[in-house]
Amino acid sequence: MINPLKNSRPIFSAMLRNKTGVLLIVAQIALTFAIIANALYVVQQRLAEANRTTGIDDAGVFAIGIMSAPGKNDEFTQQELDVQALRAVPGVKAAAWVNQMPLLQSGTNSGFFIDKKLKEPSAVPATYFSGSSPVEALGIRLIEGRDFEQSEYITNDDSLPQDTQAKVQVLLVTKELAKTLYPNEKSVIGKLLYRGSGDDSTPIRIIGVIDSLVTPWGYASWGGQNADGTQSAIFPIRRHQPFNLYAVRSAPAQRAEVMKAAEKSLLAITPGRMVTINRDMDKIRDRRYSGEKAMALTLIIVVGLLLLTTAAGIVGMASLWVNQRRKQIGVRRALGATRGDILRHFLSENFLITSIGIVVGILLTVVLNLVLVEKLEMQQLPTFYLPIGAVLLWAMGLLAVYGPARRAASVSPATATRSA
Amino acid sequence: MWMYYLSLGINSLRRNPILTFITVLILGIGIAASMSTLTILYVMSGNPIPHKSDRLFVPQFDTDGMDGYKPGEKPAFQLAHKDAMNLLRDAKGVHQTAMYGISQAVDSRRKDLALFQEPGVATTAEAFTLFEIPFLHGQGWTSNEDRNAAQVVVIGQQLAKKIFGKTNVVGQVLRLDQRDYRITGVIGNWRPLPKYYRVYGSGAATGLPEEIWIPFSNATSREYSNNGWTNCSGDSDPGYQGFLNSECQWIQYWVELKTANDAAAFKDYMSAYVATQKKLGRMPRPENNRFSNVMQWLEDAKVVEQDTKISSLLSLGFLLVCIVNMMALLLAKFTARDGDIAVRRALGASRWQIFQQFALESFVIGCVGAVIGVALSFLALRLMANGNADMSAIYKMDAAMLSLTVCISIAASLIAGLLPTWRACQVLPAMQLKSQ
Repeated sequence: MINPLKNSRPIFSAMLRNKTGVLLIVAQIALTFAIIANALYVVQQRLAEANRTTGIDDAGVFAIGIMSAPGKNDEFTQQELDVQALRAVPGVKAAAWVNQMPLLQSGTNSGFFIDKKLKEPSAVPATYFSGSSPVEALGIRLIEGRDFEQSEYITNDDSLPQDTQAKVQVLLVTKELAKTLYPNEKSVIGKLLYRGSGDDSTPIRIIGVIDSLVTPWGYASWGGQNADGTQSAIFPIRRHQPFNLYAVRSAPAQRAEVMKAAEKSLLAITPGRMVTINRDMDKIRDRRYSGEKAMALTLIIVVGLLLLTTAAGIVGMASLWVNQRRKQIGVRRALGATRGDILRHFLSENFLITSIGIVVGILLTVVLNLVLVEKLEMQQLPTFYLPIGAVLLWAMGLLAVYGPARRAASVSPATATRSA
Repeated sequence: MWMYYLSLGINSLRRNPILTFITVLILGIGIAASMSTLTILYVMSGNPIPHKSDRLFVPQFDTDGMDGYKPGEKPAFQLAHKDAMNLLRDAKGVHQTAMYGISQAVDSRRKDLALFQEPGVATTAEAFTLFEIPFLHGQGWTSNEDRNAAQVVVIGQQLAKKIFGKTNVVGQVLRLDQRDYRITGVIGNWRPLPKYYRVYGSGAATGLPEEIWIPFSNATSREYSNNGWTNCSGDSDPGYQGFLNSECQWIQYWVELKTANDAAAFKDYMSAYVATQKKLGRMPRPENNRFSNVMQWLEDAKVVEQDTKISSLLSLGFLLVCIVNMMALLLAKFTARDGDIAVRRALGASRWQIFQQFALESFVIGCVGAVIGVALSFLALRLMANGNADMSAIYKMDAAMLSLTVCISIAASLIAGLLPTWRACQVLPAMQLKSQ
């Protein structure tokens, strides 16, 4: 193994003779360290975001949306016909009318109150409406309580006065929403929530907790409440609106065919309508996270090029030093140093320079991270990125210097006898 | 003498081809990486309407109820319908317009083209003047048609080509939501970047302009729903009319003033307006008006994404590493020539002359690096825009960016060459000649 302290005298004196070169390499390594540590952290964050679970059966679910013909239509009946038609498509496991889909980037958030006297909402979850079992249609995981019962589903028509409308009695919440609403309770089943504050607000009872269901936006770039997109609620409601969206679940292998058949079937039962979206969850996810993925790719390319650049710099510098010291190497060889000794000399020298660069680099990394946290809303870099960066740079440095060091080791002892 | 140094510099590129190649390539890569990320920053922080951006304003009122009120928070970015209508009626600016997004079904009445949904804008006649939207054929509709909620439409070239196969379709009929809209004009080439006039929503700032524009009055009389952000905090009455009467904020509003100095007068008008509305029992919160011109508006809307800034900053860091790296490589390259320098010094060349020679050599490297950098930048931008027609206008290098690329490349190599050049000047002829 390389022991940088063994035979360190010649290394130090050689370095002192090339102060400028050593300084430049140290500066380069330090800057590289600061950039790659921060860049890799951003990459990790973006990829983690893009790969975060939606909570639903991503491989089997798709969303199909259809716009009714202009004019006043009986949408409630249409929705029932549509769901029946979708369920009749071979390969469909479940289908439900929904108001919004995870990651489809359009939907509703509303404030909910745990006490109707409160002035500020206790949480602002994404509000999913579902016309039939969301557990079945989305393939979400119920971890406590139960799914909606048939009698609990209601319909809501905005164009009619609110006091003539059935009031929703029950809802499902995500685990994260439950935690936000009642941080100290073991179970939230049976707890009451209010849609608005004030005396005329009617209570809605929590009947089930789902493991996770991401909001239509994923994390919200505008920040604020529910910015990480983990708080969602589902209500057993169908709304009267000209655009009807359905969540459909099939076996993953059959999904593509099922999607085509579903579109045909919807257009066939009521002509004059227009399918505006028919997209599987994988595509929905890809679209939502295309920016994050592009960012990660850009930074990975920058990190790769940066490592290559710094490696090229080390190769160049080391080659120069080997050339400059041919005579000294020859003398050391003539005085009994083995090829291994010479190889070790250059590897140790590189290891030392890289180490100095890394120490300076850690300081620079912290400074750069502070700037990013302060100015660009980035999070604080976890400390484990420092050893990762260090190992990466040590490995890169040793790989880069190995070639020139091998050439140095092959300098023949006879060189010592020749004049320069 | 400079020409001679220049030829020396060009010759020296060949002297140590591998080292030279690495040096130039690294410079080129660093330039390309920082330029391609900076291009996005540059486009998205650009001024989409420079000659009047300081005269176009967005007014904002805080119309929410007292629940959840936190002092210091910005008001909603859109207006409630009643405020937009009141401001339009008062018409305190040279031009003003209200707008919201629509998304209706288009029936091309062609067998080979199914019904499709096309995003559009519901706005007023003055929008075309205010935003200086160019027309390829025809023009916008009239204020009279605004008042009559006329069934007229202005469409984009792409839509015209898609439906009619040609662009001159003024007077023809566009079948929208199963109703006939008479086409009054076809929009010419118009691609404001960032898309400042309707900036909110995912990808909105980089999006293409809408291809369907109809009168606001017609859209609301047809009860077209809003395709965009709607922010409601209080209760509203049932139906579309209830929505129009509600405090929900969903309308974008723009006003053009004669000069930037008229802003103060307009702000006074806004304060007076809020006072009147308070008397009517609206706007319970303390007055919290905002009046932003185009650039302030874009800043507020955070049109330049944090990720763009982060990648630009990190890429500039990469360029810095490339400069340091080039410095080391040039040091190596120049050091190998200590003998030449000594001979030239001994033959009477002054330090200043040596300095000029090596600075010019760095310059030559900078020029070659610039060529490689520009080529790689074009390649990188092409790859980034690949398969996304919307983005090709963003990932495009204009003349300003191109000259900046060349300048940065040459400046980088001169800075990188400074230390090695200075070192070259320090070569003592006697020492070198003796050791030969």
